[in-house]
Amino acid sequence: MFTYQLTSMAIGIAVALIILFLVRRDRLHGPYAIWWIGVAATVALLGFFPRLFDWLATQLGISYPPILAIVLGFGLLLLKILTMDLERSRQERLIRRLAQRLAMLEAQDPLAPSEPRAPQATDRTEQ
Amino acid sequence: MLDTPTDPSIIPAMSSVDRTIALIPAHNEAATVGNIVTQICSLWRCPVVVIDDCSTDNTVQIARAAGASVLPLAIQLGAWGAIQTGLRYALRQGFRTAVTLDADGQHEPQDIGALLCPLMTGEADVAIGAFPERASRARRLAWSYFRFLTGLELEDITSGFRAYNHTAMTALASREASLLDYQDVGVLLILRRRGLRSVEVPVSMQPRAIGGSKIFRSWWVVGKYMLQTSLLCLARVGRNPAPSSADD
Repeated sequence: MFTYQLTSMAIGIAVALIILFLVRRDRLHGPYAIWWIGVAATVALLGFFPRLFDWLATQLGISYPPILAIVLGFGLLLLKILTMDLERSRQERLIRRLAQRLAMLEAQDPLAPSEPRAPQATDRTEQ
Repeated sequence: MLDTPTDPSIIPAMSSVDRTIALIPAHNEAATVGNIVTQICSLWRCPVVVIDDCSTDNTVQIARAAGASVLPLAIQLGAWGAIQTGLRYALRQGFRTAVTLDADGQHEPQDIGALLCPLMTGEADVAIGAFPERASRARRLAWSYFRFLTGLELEDITSGFRAYNHTAMTALASREASLLDYQDVGVLLILRRRGLRSVEVPVSMQPRAIGGSKIFRSWWVVGKYMLQTSLLCLARVGRNPAPSSADD
């Protein structure tokens, strides 16, 4: 028979170990790794000392401590998802610009252009 | 470069234009693209660039055989992504003016001259080939809605038949314009924010030879488009003050 303390510790350690394993395997890029190390540390701490929330909730005047954990968890998840979409938009812009540049590099001139084009260096100076 | 205009009335203006390029975004337009490229080449003798947006048919071969340069996109970017590729390419190659046409044969290459006139006279930075009569009732409703949201005073907001001068090309080749999906309201808003002037030029338009509108094809796509564009307009509220008459 497990006590809730043991269960909480087991979950905390398991999550923290998985994250540390992924970071060590270089599966997470720098800034993300920092966020997730923070998550691992928090999860491990709360796993060992689940009563921390009870204490914090009392300090904040919350009568039902578990709701604090849920609200904080949701808030952080929302924040994380928001930053993920910001990052995805940044990458989308980057990918589009890269695809465009690739297309420009792969441009093939027609068989018979109407007029020979001046070399690029000359064009630049005209601008 | 544009030395054979069909309309004699625009000959004097034409001589002041040099380094104009025609940009045609194409996605599976093998049936029509060749004819358009040939027409532009013979009428205007300007370089034609077809931006291939991941076509699966032989659009590329046909365009190239007709005399166009082809920019092959490795991933599908949509009509605006393709046009921006063309604009960036045109700037790199030193062109001063760019004309965009649809590859489906809607736009008449002989109208390019009329489109270039306001740019040459310095009347505008962007000329939009407008043919509002083509629009269905639903599309007109959508246009008036976007006019209301943005305060833009243009009839044919979604026309892909446009001419851009060098300043407008530079503005639209920017990173800011890379996350747009359509060559319509978002593009016009960027132009307005930069203080550039757009005018509409009445042109004739052919019914699409093949296929329907890319945007107005199903209620789901229309809904998504309307929502996305409305959000785009609202997100720019206050950032696009209409230029006062003193600015013009």
